[in-house]
Amino acid sequence: MFISNRHLIEVFHTKLILNLKAEAAQTYLSYAWWLLEPALMVAVLYLVFAIFLARGTPDFVVFLVCGKIPFLWFSKSVTNASRSIIAGRGLINQVSIPKTFFPMLVVFQDAFKQVIVFIFMFVFIIAYGIDFSWVWLSVGFVILTQFLLISAAALFVAAITPFLPDFRYLISTTMMALMLGSGIFYSYKEVLLPEHQQLFLMNPIANLIKNYRQVLMDGMLPDWSALGAICAASITLIVIMTVYYKKTDTVYARLIAQ
Amino acid sequence: MTSAAMELRNVSVRYVSRKSFFRHDYFTALENVSFTIRRGETLGVIGTNGCGKSTLLRVLSNIYGVDEGEVIWHCRQVSLLSLSLGFDPELSGRDNALISGMLLGGRKKDVLARLDDIIEFSELDDFIDKPIKTYSSGMRARLGFSVALNMQSELLLIDEVMGVGDGKFKQKAQAAMIDKISSKQTVVLVSHSTAQIEALCDRVLWLDAGQVKMLGDSATVLPAYNRFIGQGQVKKV
Repeated sequence: MFISNRHLIEVFHTKLILNLKAEAAQTYLSYAWWLLEPALMVAVLYLVFAIFLARGTPDFVVFLVCGKIPFLWFSKSVTNASRSIIAGRGLINQVSIPKTFFPMLVVFQDAFKQVIVFIFMFVFIIAYGIDFSWVWLSVGFVILTQFLLISAAALFVAAITPFLPDFRYLISTTMMALMLGSGIFYSYKEVLLPEHQQLFLMNPIANLIKNYRQVLMDGMLPDWSALGAICAASITLIVIMTVYYKKTDTVYARLIAQ
Repeated sequence: MTSAAMELRNVSVRYVSRKSFFRHDYFTALENVSFTIRRGETLGVIGTNGCGKSTLLRVLSNIYGVDEGEVIWHCRQVSLLSLSLGFDPELSGRDNALISGMLLGGRKKDVLARLDDIIEFSELDDFIDKPIKTYSSGMRARLGFSVALNMQSELLLIDEVMGVGDGKFKQKAQAAMIDKISSKQTVVLVSHSTAQIEALCDRVLWLDAGQVKMLGDSATVLPAYNRFIGQGQVKKV
């Protein structure tokens, strides 16, 4: 009501850039951490699974990278978004601002960093010896699908946490379950019984990871019907959450002030 | 007849706090509050601590919804004047002034155009490009005040921000704010200082325990309020 949509987009854009700048200013290695963090995670998994447990196949590092990096994007964005409305209480109590602003700011902030991580990921895969194929361009659709899924999940968890602070404990447990149940460090085709594989792929994160590997490692186009289903479900949830936020917008300021 | 900038009709606001899993406490912050803010006027709001003044400002700025009644806005932009709004300690004074000004309702190009005035008023000079985590609290307040002072809004809501900083700056800040309030700007001013309310406000709304105790000219409301405060102090003694 008080801020036009154009003004809101302007504020969002400026805040996004300044938040990225502020985040980088907090550490000595600043922007380098955007790459170092996922690289360290992959290195730890490689050390444990490929070296200590000797479960590695020739392309195991690429296999891990294609699983862990998209998963980290999802888990970090959703976990950060879950705290976003509570973290924004200073602003919420002083300005009439749509509450979707806060989770979506986190989503875009993490997505911006992720674009850079993905570019380095592609370079790493090529450097590792996997040939570039024009099919790789279709990974853009997988990334877009994941972005929609993250946005939907972020809007959902951010709406619940202020009402039910205990929910954040559930989020960390869910992320752990998702990490173990999405085939990041194992191939579901080798580990699961054939009759369980369809059920496994109902997990959207597992399905997306399968598609990242299908495109980048096997040089095949993604499973369009699966991506379509995830997009449709995510857009539906985004619409539902947008309506919900519109209806409850002024509730949050009082809720977090109490 | 002066047109209305905003109307409140029978507005009530209640807070709920959780005592245990199933038990909740309720507190009524505003009860059946009705009044109209006229365009161009300065309306003072007075009352003792906890009477609902801050809740009222948040209702007027659409930060809080109401539990009963309705709020009718006849103006497009209402700003609650907040110092240091959206400040990030890691960012420079310049960046913070930009985002703070935008959050207070300014468009980016307008805030950028006023940035030199903001910096000049704040007297921060070269510090403006340093992160505000290196600022003293006085410097931070000066920057926050300068941003708020330079922002325009159809209806300005002010909660006790008449002057910040030390000695000379405080006087300058107070004079600039009084200038702003005394202009044709529509203002709702919350203050504990009855002298300030008397000097600046056309009408005064007296809130007591979330209800409108009195609304009228400052010449009528302020003496009654002062008597009430005096009685309260006598009773305490």
